[in-house]
Amino acid sequence: MMNIFMDAASHVKNPSVLSAEEKGCKIVGYTCSFMPGEIFHAAGMLPYRIRGIDTQSMEIGDAYYGPYICTFPKCILQLAGEGKFAFLDGLVITPGCDAMRRLDECWRKAGEDYQGIVPGFFYYFDVPHKIENHGMIWFQEEIQRLIAGVEAHFNVHISEDSLKESIRIYNKGRRLLQELEEMRAVENLPISGTQAFAVAVTGTVMERTEYNRLLENAIDELREKKNIVNDKKRLMVVGSVSDDISLIQLIEDCEAVVVAENLCFGVRHETDEVSETGDPVKALAERYLTDSVCPRMFGKYKQRLSILREKIETAKVDGVILQNIRFCDLHGSENGLFERDLEASGTPCLRLEREYGPLIETGRIKMRIDAFLERIS
Amino acid sequence: MRPEIREYNFDWMLWTVMDTGYKAALGTEKEFRRVLGYAPYFSGIIGSIANQGEPGVTFLKLAAKYYENIVKVHERGKKLALTTFCFSPAILYAMDAVPVTLEVLTAFAGLTWKRGAFDYLDYSVERGFTETACSSQRGSLGAYMAGLGSEIDFIAIDTAGICDTNANAFSFASAYLDKPFYQLNFPAGLTDERTKHYHRDDYKALIAFLEEQTGNKLDEDKLREVLKELNRQDEMLGELEEMQRLVPNPLPGTFNLFIYAGRFMFAGWPEYTELLKSMVKVVRQNVEDGVTGISSGREKCRALFFYIDHFSLNLRMWQWLDLHGISHIGGILSRFYSDNVPYTRGREEEAYRIETGDLDMMIDSIAEMNARMPMVRSIRGPYDAPYMWLDDALTLGKLYSADCMIYNGTPGCRNTWSNVKLIAKDLENNGFPTHIMYADAFDDRVESWEATSERLDEFFKLRRLV
Repeated sequence: MMNIFMDAASHVKNPSVLSAEEKGCKIVGYTCSFMPGEIFHAAGMLPYRIRGIDTQSMEIGDAYYGPYICTFPKCILQLAGEGKFAFLDGLVITPGCDAMRRLDECWRKAGEDYQGIVPGFFYYFDVPHKIENHGMIWFQEEIQRLIAGVEAHFNVHISEDSLKESIRIYNKGRRLLQELEEMRAVENLPISGTQAFAVAVTGTVMERTEYNRLLENAIDELREKKNIVNDKKRLMVVGSVSDDISLIQLIEDCEAVVVAENLCFGVRHETDEVSETGDPVKALAERYLTDSVCPRMFGKYKQRLSILREKIETAKVDGVILQNIRFCDLHGSENGLFERDLEASGTPCLRLEREYGPLIETGRIKMRIDAFLERIS
Repeated sequence: MRPEIREYNFDWMLWTVMDTGYKAALGTEKEFRRVLGYAPYFSGIIGSIANQGEPGVTFLKLAAKYYENIVKVHERGKKLALTTFCFSPAILYAMDAVPVTLEVLTAFAGLTWKRGAFDYLDYSVERGFTETACSSQRGSLGAYMAGLGSEIDFIAIDTAGICDTNANAFSFASAYLDKPFYQLNFPAGLTDERTKHYHRDDYKALIAFLEEQTGNKLDEDKLREVLKELNRQDEMLGELEEMQRLVPNPLPGTFNLFIYAGRFMFAGWPEYTELLKSMVKVVRQNVEDGVTGISSGREKCRALFFYIDHFSLNLRMWQWLDLHGISHIGGILSRFYSDNVPYTRGREEEAYRIETGDLDMMIDSIAEMNARMPMVRSIRGPYDAPYMWLDDALTLGKLYSADCMIYNGTPGCRNTWSNVKLIAKDLENNGFPTHIMYADAFDDRVESWEATSERLDEFFKLRRLV
């Protein structure tokens, strides 16, 4: 069962995409976890979180972006320029951070040089950086505008009932992921961090009903399974965006097991459910904006620290790896604060700067993690 | 941080340099030169500013007052607000709070001391902030993190949705220093009704925050007084901008610095009006005489800095331009988009207008003015959208007869480094030779001024601009 998730999480064009293509189902990419996937699900489309894995070179990314930019959007642009996202019928770009929001212009401009790489539906979803009343109203309007844009472009109708049904399906997935999280909190783990992360990543690229079915089966299987890990150090991974299961694998190749993450592709956005009663647009806005789990929501550090503390306690974490992609200042500087506050309360931390993309720095990262494990042993 | 750096407060040092410089400049020329001889370390910066005559001396006076306000803020029973350069301080003055603008302090450190803000830049990194973050905040933030400045009471900024690295620096400061925080947030649009409504609601929430933090209710009369003063200042800025269009350009290059530094530090002060008056007087005289503001009297080339300037020791960038006969015709920092400047003529929908009728009108005016501060206006949306970065650069380039375009920023600027290659290509396609500087405007260690000026020299020569 786990192989399905590992496979889906390891390739840009995964079986879920192939299956959607075969069925003639529209696929719409998106760049940020503040984008409610329920909207596209309700329209009968596959929402697909854009990724940068499988990158082999960077000449296209570097040609449009400047040098002092995080490698995540550069890898995405590289793949876009190579036509690896040709299966997309649409794309929604969100101001997750400055480099990610500028993917809008870089992708469009690259489209002038590489024909056919800009999907017909190319949409900027303007997510505010605050949750106060007017921010929430703005976000609700943005969701309404996005729905209207999807309906107009794809000639579909997203009814209130279908949106509510999608919310229910997504909520079921969230509950299942929480069940999985609980299994990672026990002493004798039935699942490795790499596998659990692959499950979470798959949720961003697979049709949700099918995903729920597979996840339910996987949880049933895991309940029957004996522990696969016992005396290794229990780590949590925090920081910049990561959808690369090989990073978690690299950590677990050392004498450690990853029992929790607080990462953009992980389960951090799946903790709260969307209200299933009342206006679904309002419910989506409240759920997606209120969780200030990302440092793009400025001034909410204390909330994020408290999320980490809770996870550290629940998952019985021995140490925290605070990683950031170079030039990711939002996570990088917040990691500095986390290090100060977590170390002060007795949780050992390792700050690690890295590049996104193929793990060219495996040796260095492994050495740092080994040293960290030695320190906390 | 080196122990000797901890001996004196950062803001206090800037105050004493500016204050001493101003007082020295009040003497005769002979007295002034004599005093500078006793302060060789500061003679470069003080001399460079004071050499601009009455505007220079007035600028020193105002800078000294600005820093004195920071140093004596609590002694005077006021609150100190940590803020950013593109947040108009007018509202803080109207509410009797004192702004401390991180980028201004870092720039002054770079202009004043050979060591710049290096120690403070490094200290913030030692304490957890990223070295890749924008140096403009990172420098003086390091000093405040080290406790080498007056204690901050609260933080108010306006860069969420504009510049992540900026907003993030203040968000970090809020957590590190444990201070209350408010951020104005901007959507990608500028002129549509929905966006205006958002600007207004957000600004009203800011006022509520300021009232809570300062303990002062917003005084309508005081706000009106500040806005009326701003209106007078806008009128003079409009005249200076109009004269800057002339060929040769009658404005001395450093006047651009005085314009925007003044706007970031003293907006709404009557003394800033006096500074602008003295600048207008000098420029009018140059116009009358048909001369350029360049010292040699010969303008060879006109350069538009479509992002920011380079704040190296003793105003070396301005000196270099002056020496090579290159007119600095402003940049993103010196443009504020009131409805009376030449670049908003015929494009009034993108400008702001100050209305002082009732409180709501004033709040609308100040919210729209703030929404057009440097960066806040033009790098919020896609760079090639109407009213945004490319549109602005091309409009200004044509209106001010630019011969070339120069980009300078900091490696921390994620926003502009994400699309500077795109805009440079578009500017070239529109006939403007364009140079991208790889220096750091606030940290000479990234690329020395000597290396930077060599590259500038190469650009101007190879493109046959001088």
